[in-house]
Amino acid sequence: MANRSARPPASTPNRGSVLPAFGLIGWRWVSRNPASAVAPILLPFVFLYFLRLIAPPEYFPLEIVGAMLFTTQNIGSWVLGDSASWRIETRMQDVFVASPLTKSRYLIGIALSNLIPAAPALLVLGALLAYVVAVPLLGWAVLVGAILVLWILFSAIGVAVSSRVKSQREIWPVGNLTFTVLGMLSPLYYPLTILPPAWQVVARFLPTTYAALLVQGTLHLPGAVPSDPWLDGALLLLLAAVGTAVALRMYRWREGD
Amino acid sequence: MTFLGLRWEGTRAFGATEMRVQLHEGLAIATSMIVQVVLLVFVLVLDRSILPYALVGAVVYSVFMLGQRLQNEAAYIRIDHKLTDLYFASPLSAEAYFLGMSAGVLVAYLPPILVLAAVLVVVVHLSLLAVGTLLFVGVAVWFFTCSFGYIISTQFKDNRAIWPYASLITNFFGVLPPVFYPLALLPGYWHPLALLLPTSAAVILIEAAQGGLVAVSGSGLALAAVALSAEAVVAFALAIVWARRSARER
Repeated sequence: MANRSARPPASTPNRGSVLPAFGLIGWRWVSRNPASAVAPILLPFVFLYFLRLIAPPEYFPLEIVGAMLFTTQNIGSWVLGDSASWRIETRMQDVFVASPLTKSRYLIGIALSNLIPAAPALLVLGALLAYVVAVPLLGWAVLVGAILVLWILFSAIGVAVSSRVKSQREIWPVGNLTFTVLGMLSPLYYPLTILPPAWQVVARFLPTTYAALLVQGTLHLPGAVPSDPWLDGALLLLLAAVGTAVALRMYRWREGD
Repeated sequence: MTFLGLRWEGTRAFGATEMRVQLHEGLAIATSMIVQVVLLVFVLVLDRSILPYALVGAVVYSVFMLGQRLQNEAAYIRIDHKLTDLYFASPLSAEAYFLGMSAGVLVAYLPPILVLAAVLVVVVHLSLLAVGTLLFVGVAVWFFTCSFGYIISTQFKDNRAIWPYASLITNFFGVLPPVFYPLALLPGYWHPLALLLPTSAAVILIEAAQGGLVAVSGSGLALAAVALSAEAVVAFALAIVWARRSARER
């Protein structure tokens, strides 16, 4: 973390192209390490393969949507990894803080750079969803909206947690614990109603649950819980806004934060 | 100190050092069961009838994951801490470095595996023969996975590259083959491959020893046992050769 005295002087240019720069970082990472793009594509498919074997076949479309939302949520884990590595290993955070970059723009930038390796997985899963079930235009809009909301929320959680990580060794277990547990508690890969009652109550406090319920309900997927899409959408936005605000507040951008 | 033509100087000291290093990573040890728990949750929620298979698979998968821990640790020591040069300049032999690290990781990560194994014994009422088979295949999988993980670790140039490759390897060996689900759910033309892969071969051998869990012919079981043993021995020999070669290069 940089010292407060590292603020740029007033004469320093304070406008720049943050998104293309972070986009380039994301693209260069994928182009130099193709496995980093293959792994996120493969992971949801591995889960889908397993679920296809053990779950009733009518749940398959619901599981595809779950895989898309889970992939989006996992972007937070990669954001955590990048942000922590840049701070601990390469000391890049001092440079970011000393630049005109604000922490909100940093969040959007790092979220974008990590959306790039996840994008192929989301596109392939989207094509698979369109293959197994008819998705209306409104359904696509709701799905994309839910993905965008979760993308920002979990990226914010990722950067917030990254600022508390003290060593490289902690990154993987902390990310794994945070994002996998959050993903499993929400009814992404199974209908909410088949979960034990106590689990359903816990799931109702998680934004991913409302993203899943909203998309499942809009697409009328088998296993979808009858619910009010407006209420699900409102709760998703509310919980995501609160979660993002809390995460950004928790995030230590510079010394003293 | 030589045995079987190998030098073991420093194995105990380095094993103890690695064990202490690993025991400091309490969170990593606690979260080492996450994938297993997730897949067990899937099974509990969606199809409880395959829980015995999933539990056997969870134990074998946990042993297999020890190799992934070793892979991460070896890569961290070399890339992040840059300690390998120091270790290899000391009286520590290359094979002792590999085996000491394997032993240290094993000791640190054994408790959660033992808890899972205890759950398996209680829930599935594992027979004595099945427990014995579990111990035998557990050792074989450990030799294979540590050797494989160590060899792979020497190929990384960047810490960030570890996770995607580790993820691909664990899914290829642990989730795709019939480790957490019965062999019968896999199409028949894949069965020979399942008998050859170390993780699924280990699971099938335990299930066969328990009786009634899997229907595989005697020749199929022999193939699984021979394949697993051969993979363990060959991988271990390769890892020793690889460790010596890596040390010489430095």
